Amino acid sequence: MKAILTVHNIASDLVTSVWTPAFVGLFIAIVIYALWPRNQAVFDQASRMPLRED
Amino acid sequence: MQQSQCTKWMTHGEAGLMLFFSMAAFVCAFAAAKALDAPFAFHASLAAVASGVASFAIMNRYLDRPASLPPEEINGKPNYNVGPIKFASFMAMFWGIAGFAVGLLIASQLAWPALNFDLPWTSFGRLRPLHTSAVIFAFGGNVLIATSFYVVQRTCRTRLVGDLAPWFVVLGYNFFILIAGTGYLLGVTQSKEYAEPEWYADLWLTIVWVVYLVVFVMTLVKRKEPHIFVANWFYLAFIVTIAVLHLGNNPALPVSVFGSKSYIAWGGVQDAMFQWWYGHNAVGFFLTAGFLAIMYYFIPKRAERPVYSYRLSIIHFWALIFLYIWAGPHHLHHTALPDWTQTLGMTFSIMLWMPSWGGMINGLMTLSGAWDKLRTDPVLRMLVVSVAFYGMSTFEGPMMSIKVVNSLSHYTDWTIGHVHSGALGWVGFVSFGALYCLIPWLWDRKGLYSLKLVNWHFWTATIGIVLYISAMWVSGILQGLMWRAYTSLGFLEYSFLETVEAMHPFYVIRAAGGALFLIGALIMAYNLWMTVRAREADVGTELALQAAE
Repeated sequence: MKAILTVHNIASDLVTSVWTPAFVGLFIAIVIYALWPRNQAVFDQASRMPLRED
Repeated sequence: MQQSQCTKWMTHGEAGLMLFFSMAAFVCAFAAAKALDAPFAFHASLAAVASGVASFAIMNRYLDRPASLPPEEINGKPNYNVGPIKFASFMAMFWGIAGFAVGLLIASQLAWPALNFDLPWTSFGRLRPLHTSAVIFAFGGNVLIATSFYVVQRTCRTRLVGDLAPWFVVLGYNFFILIAGTGYLLGVTQSKEYAEPEWYADLWLTIVWVVYLVVFVMTLVKRKEPHIFVANWFYLAFIVTIAVLHLGNNPALPVSVFGSKSYIAWGGVQDAMFQWWYGHNAVGFFLTAGFLAIMYYFIPKRAERPVYSYRLSIIHFWALIFLYIWAGPHHLHHTALPDWTQTLGMTFSIMLWMPSWGGMINGLMTLSGAWDKLRTDPVLRMLVVSVAFYGMSTFEGPMMSIKVVNSLSHYTDWTIGHVHSGALGWVGFVSFGALYCLIPWLWDRKGLYSLKLVNWHFWTATIGIVLYISAMWVSGILQGLMWRAYTSLGFLEYSFLETVEAMHPFYVIRAAGGALFLIGALIMAYNLWMTVRAREADVGTELALQAAE
């Protein structure tokens, strides 16, 4: 029983310690992607998508 | 061409769905016969009839249609599928008026309790979920389905996936509303706020929602545009998260498969936590993410300006997605929920202020260079004021989630006021604005029947909202202060009845505000009806009016 609990604790410690920095890292990566100067042209085009009529 | 006329076959979808509904009709009729309670028998009968009608309708549609299905493109332009969108838009208006009317009735019941009529079916307890579900899921849901099907087609430049599937989504969803709504009146409820429908309605919604997700995602997959427009990201987040929330909050075991009663798998404080994880994210992903998608498409389109900052829209989206899901515990402050969980919910709620206002700024600033249009275009004004209300209620929300503030505001009318500044001001107005845009586009009209009536709607509804929310703020704070007032000897200063009595004038003002909001919606329904009815030659008043002003 104790062993199971220990394994469970290790697993939960791993998960709880990993996902916070992982999500923060992912979010920072998204912000960098959004602000990357070279993407500006694509975003400028995308911002006009509702205005295009076929 | 000749060949296709000779060989008319049912598609797999048509044959499969016909078979499914034929079998469902028998199964439901059997369930109705074996039913343990009257509401279940009624619902099973309704489902049997609906399945039979669906089966017939599919056959009729097959017999009437040409051998080949509608083409993907006509003369090189996408052949957009607008039928299901028209239906959902119509139902949105219908349910909107029904939901606002029931809202007015229950507001009046609180002011004049005799209006409960001493009947179980018209009592506040049964009508209240009817009101909330009608406005959130029936009105709001139909607006979201209609606009998402429209926006995903336009921004992907491709026809909606599926022949019957989009119809299955809109009809199936409205059938769910019918079952849920009639269930509340008959006393069928699992007593979870905003998740009241019982197990069989939940199962049906799951099927409909999965088809909705498949139609939406597959349309995205076959898009002609390389970039997925930000509104579609918001719609997708709304569809996926609602699916997860619905499954998470509703694992119930029915007492019998022939009865309406079920018991939820979760117990005690875990159940409460699941409920408010669901409840707050229904706000976050149904009433916020979905309607933000509307903001990101309809405001640029109506203002004829690009999205103010597309970069901000990406950051706005991801920040909202990462934060919203954790905010639920603020509904359970000062309860048996562990203290750290309450603090976590509060912290995330306060952080949410940032992405919320980022989105608001993005929506408002999209008007830069076109502010003058607010003077001449009441539809755009409605859309923009909705974003202002969004900003206001997303400031108020984080503030109320602070434990100390919540100790005053919780269980009082302040909460009701806060919810309605979001629901009437933000969700209501952005939906009205979207429908005012959508109806002329869908029916190929040059413009609305009357912009003057839109103006009337705008001002009537705005005054209604102001009356509503200010009455509830005053009432709520008064209520909170009266509850916590002690005498010098340590006794409660007011009995509960005295605090109820003190609410009366505010309940009357609130009902008056609700009446104005309903009148506004009736003006809108007339205006949209006349827009659809008008022949091409008659429309154009919109342009004439603009010039006159």
